[in-house]
Order: sequence, then C-alpha cells, then structure tokens
Amino acid sequence: MKAWEELISSSFYEATARQRAHGLVDAGTFNELGGPNKRLKSPHLPELGEAVSFDDGVVTGVGRIGARPVFVISQEGRFIGGAVGEVGGAKTTAIFQMALRLHDKIAKKYPEDASLRAPAIIYSFETGGVRLHEANAGLLAHAEQMELIQECRGKVPVISLIGSKVGCFGGMGFVSISTDVVVMSELGRIGLTGPEVIEQEMGKKEFDSSDRALIYRTTGGKHKTIMRDCSFLVDDTIGAFRDQVKTLLNMPYEQLKKYRSIGSLKLVQEQLSLVALAAVLQPKDSTDVWAHFGNDNPEGIPDMELEEFCRKAKLRHREVE
Amino acid sequence: MALHEISFLIEPQEGYESIPVDWAHNGVVGSGDMELLMQKTDSAAVQVNIVTPVAGYDAIWEKVLRKFVAEARLGGVSIEINDNNSTPYVVATRLKQGLLEAKAGERE
Amino acid sequence: MAATSLVGKGRAAISLILDEGTFEENRIGGTVLDAGLGPGAVVGSGRLNGRVVTVIANDAKLRNPRFPVVYAGIIGLEEAYKMAEAVYASIAADDGLPPEKKRPLVLIVDSPGNGPGKIEEIFGMNKATGAYQLALIEARQKGHPVVAMIIGRAISGAFLCHGLQADRILTLSKEYGTMIHVMPLSSIARITKRDIETLETLSKTNPVFASGADYFYKLGGVEEIIEDSANMREAISRHIDEVYAFNSAGRREENGPRGRGALGAKRGGRKKRQQVLALMEQEFALIEDEYL
Repeated sequence: MKAWEELISSSFYEATARQRAHGLVDAGTFNELGGPNKRLKSPHLPELGEAVSFDDGVVTGVGRIGARPVFVISQEGRFIGGAVGEVGGAKTTAIFQMALRLHDKIAKKYPEDASLRAPAIIYSFETGGVRLHEANAGLLAHAEQMELIQECRGKVPVISLIGSKVGCFGGMGFVSISTDVVVMSELGRIGLTGPEVIEQEMGKKEFDSSDRALIYRTTGGKHKTIMRDCSFLVDDTIGAFRDQVKTLLNMPYEQLKKYRSIGSLKLVQEQLSLVALAAVLQPKDSTDVWAHFGNDNPEGIPDMELEEFCRKAKLRHREVE
Repeated sequence: MALHEISFLIEPQEGYESIPVDWAHNGVVGSGDMELLMQKTDSAAVQVNIVTPVAGYDAIWEKVLRKFVAEARLGGVSIEINDNNSTPYVVATRLKQGLLEAKAGERE
Repeated sequence: MAATSLVGKGRAAISLILDEGTFEENRIGGTVLDAGLGPGAVVGSGRLNGRVVTVIANDAKLRNPRFPVVYAGIIGLEEAYKMAEAVYASIAADDGLPPEKKRPLVLIVDSPGNGPGKIEEIFGMNKATGAYQLALIEARQKGHPVVAMIIGRAISGAFLCHGLQADRILTLSKEYGTMIHVMPLSSIARITKRDIETLETLSKTNPVFASGADYFYKLGGVEEIIEDSANMREAISRHIDEVYAFNSAGRREENGPRGRGALGAKRGGRKKRQQVLALMEQEFALIEDEYL
C-alpha cells in the first residue's frame, strides 16, 4: 500500500478499492473488517471455474474522519467488474447493520450531541450490479441494501462516491442514488441500464454502446450534475473525494437532507415534472436537455475543465429546497 | 470445471526469516493478475496454496515459488495465492511486492 | 386441472384477489391519482376479506404513448413514480392511525423490466425505481404490511423495483408459467462462458443462479409457493395478519429483505451470508469500544 499522503493525491479513477478505503478516511485509521485474512471467498465461483478473491471484491471496514467513526464500503471493479454476489453482499449488509447499531449506542450515551458523533457510511461504487455467476443471491443482496439505506435515514448519513473505472450500473445505479448525497468526478458514470443493453433494445443508430463520448454525455458526472442527481462534482483524486466527505460530515444532518433527489412525495413530484419535460422535449441527446436548462453552448460542456464547468454550467432548477 | 488447486510444502533454508507482521496482503484478482496472502505460522516449512482457473502449469508455479522462497530466505510463513491467469512474470513481481510491503508494514 | 397462466393479466389477478367489485382504480384514501400517467401501472384501492388494501399492479396490454420502450408490463419512469405516489397516498391516508390499523399494500408482480431507453437514462430511470422502493420501505417502517404476489414475470431490476421490498413474497408455482430470475440460464451460459447443460446440472445442487420459483424458495427469496391461484386470497390475507403480528411484537426486521436472508440460511440455499454477518459482527465487537 502506498503511503497515505501519496494515496490522497492519487487518481480515484485508477485506485483499487483498498487504496480508496485507506485514503478516504484519516491517515492510518482504516480498520478493515472481513479483510483478506478472514478469507471470505465466494463458495459459488469455484463451481463455475471462476477465480475467487479473499475479499470477494469489496473492501469493508471502519475508520475515522476527525472525531467521527466512518464506515467504508469500497467495491473493486477489477474483480469480476465489481459485481455483487452473496459474500460481498453480506459484507455490505454487515457494515450497514454495524453502523446502525453503533449509532444507537452513541445516541444513548451522548443524547446531547449524537448527530456530530454518530457514525457515517461512505460507499465507493465500482460495479455493474448483480454478479451473474450467483445472480439470485446478488439480486437479493441489492434489496437488503435498499432497505438498510432507508433504515439509516435520519440516523447515519450515507454518502455515495462515484468516480471509478467501471462506473456504477445495474441495480447499484439505484442503490447509489438512494443515499443522502452523491459525489462524483467527471469520470464517474451512473445508470440503471448498461449501454450494451440500450443498444440491444433501441438499435445501434439510436445508441451506439461503443461511443464513449455519448456514454459520458448520458451517464457521466457532468450530466448528472446538471440534472442535480450528483450534488458535488470533484477532481479525480482520492483527496478531493475525501475533502468533500469531510465538508459534508461537518454539516448537521438536517442540512444534508437537502441533497436528496428521491425519498419523499415532494421529491417524487419534482421528478415527475422532470419526466413531463422528458415527454415534451423527447431529447435525442443529453445536449438537448443541457440547452433547455440554459446552457448556450452544450457541445462545449464535455471539454470544459472542472473549474470552468462549475463556474459556467447552468444546472436544473430544484423545486424542493 | 471447478477451480484448480495446487498445494505443496517448501522446506526453508537455514537462517530463514518469517515476515515481521502477522499477515500481509497484496494485489487484486483482476484478469491476468493475482492476490497474495502471507501469514506467519508456527512451522518452519512454507505451506503454499494456489487457486487458479488454469490447470496444467503446476510445475511452473512450484518452480517460481521455490525460487522466491529460497531467494527471500523465507520460513515460518504460509503463502496463499488467488490467481486469474497471471503470467510467471506477474507472479514473480507480485511476490516481490508482497514481501516488500510485509516488511514495510512493520515500520508503520 | 391445468393451471391457467396469469402472465400479462394483472387486471385479471386483481379481480381474483380482491372482494368482488371492490377495486377503485387511481383512488387511495383522499388521493386521486392521475389516470393518464403511466398507463401500464395499475394502482388503486379495494377490499380483501373486507379489509381496505392498496393494490399496485401492471397492465401488460398498455403501451406508454410518450415513452416507446415502455410496453408489455415494463415499468418506466412514469409508471415507477406513479407506483411511488400510490405508496405515499396510502401512508397519508392512514396518517395518525396506530400501526395495527395501517392499510396493507398488495403488490401484484408481473413485469419483465424497467424502461431500457436512452431518454430513461438521460433523465434517470435509477431514480424512479429507487424512489418507489424507498416509499415501500417507509410504508413498512410505519406499519403498513406489504405483501407481493408473483403472478407472472419477476425479472431482475423489475423484481427489485416491484416486489423485493415487500414484507412477504408469494409466488404462483411454475405450472402457472411464473418466471423469477435475473437472466435466463441461456444468457448466463453465454456471459459466464459455460455450457447450459453444465449449468443445469450445477443448479440441481446450488440454487444460486438458476431461474424459477423453486430455486428462489430455497434461497429464501420467496416465502411461499402457491399451487392453486384460487388460494391467493387466503394466502395473502394470512401473510398480512402475520406481518401485523410480527410488527406489533417489535419483529419488523424479520420480514422483508433481511428476513428473507435469514430464511435462506434456514432453508439451506444461502448459508454463507449468515456466516459472514456473524463473523464480521464478532470482529467489530472486539474494537467497538474505540468508537463509542
């Protein structure tokens, strides 16, 4: 493992799951739980002759940011595309449950200032969703995570970090957007249906899954920022993601809540007015939507540097504040 | 169909050393890559376990591991590898890195 | 008697399940939902053995005129948000009532997927399905029993969207042509590069990737298989009563996704999950004091 100082200046996009886990929390504080020496391997992959890993493709543990305990879930895209199976799913469930229980103990011990002492969860996504080799167990694991995200609301802040090579697709596309806050880099991608499946459904003319620029315009960090699905767009370093998390964890929970895009009737109604816009606009490309929100030169947006984008880009107006 | 497992024991040389930490881990099981887990043991001999989708290269694995253990004068440690089609060069590199990190781990 | 398939027949299933003539579409408590929105999503109220319930289903015959990838029971943007609105309307209708009086929600499951289009991705299909799931979990937290009844297709993302957040999941048996899977075995064979015969042999001893109600039963993914569609009413009612009883005993967590996790260990199809949870909790217990 690189030294912590070196980790935080490293590319988030290129980093392994374990590097992200160590770098996101304070130096030397990451305690891996269910680590490689516990040998939590998939019992299903060997039956199919598929390579196994001692961590089943997800690094889980707890560290600190300042005084706060911070639980970390970090998916490894190099291992079977970061896909979720039975063991990795269980490790993730375990982290959510531990954070909830720790929260309750802290709330009891420090009733006065529980909210700034309470644990948080940071979830670094790099996944295509369900691992097909153990598809049924992977599917059921997704449902558990959704339930636990809702159970965490008002108690344990859950922050999604998306900026790794594989992106965040399939069922994890809705798991990530259901958390309190989504932080992305420009290189991050989030979606439900993967590009290949859209091409298969709509034809290559409508959606060419080999067109990288098109995929970024549809699912990338800048687009999701304009749509207000991503609340903070940061540089591609572990340190930049970490700094954003630190800022968020210094906010009272009440303030964090305003970054949600779903999770109440009002937010559903806000999304429905966006869907009504989709029906009228029938965009051929995300650039049509960017133009609608007042961006005069939508074609220029993909080439903008982060600083220029943050200064100039016009974002969707949010109805619920 | 099932994964291929290779296990063997390497007798250490005299004056061998174990790793300075209880266990050390290195690498990611990506395509063409592997992970390595070394753990301190009570017995001197080095127990090696390799799990890989590819069969038929047992002799090469053993040769690479014997060379590594001899050069590093290792003993009192187990070596476990999860492999996904690594070349012998990658294997040798990961082993060296793994040992370096295990030694660095002591300083922290 | 041969089983009459209900695949694609969400409305017929509503009639079979509810007390005769009680279904009121788009009306839940004081809320009237927009009938033009998401026409494939059928939501409303009715009575089951005299008890008022919310029903959420799909009509596979209707296309969404605004979103061309949404047809044949696919849950698109409008459909998922409409389903979420139906849940929030149910919560609002019983606001202030004690938990044991909160109306149950019955999800009739027959959907092949979420809207797989470009516009859906641009506007965020992930949000729509996420929003509906969060609403269902909130309803459960407030005491509303949520029971899903699979009558046809419960496939991958559609099953997660509409079904897997229920307290209890029931399915008609495979004789009814029900389909529960992420992908059919043929697709799994292609992607994992294994031949289908091998996968079929393996699935005899390991239910983890194969398609169908029996495998999901072993994994704890469904609570009960219903062999005769005439018994759906009785079974749904019975599970609603059980959920009320669990909730009032403070055992809500034993229903829903995590309850089914434990069930999977009990039935032997998903043992590793439970072991991993126990091991990690032991591990954390050793250091927990540092964080208190």
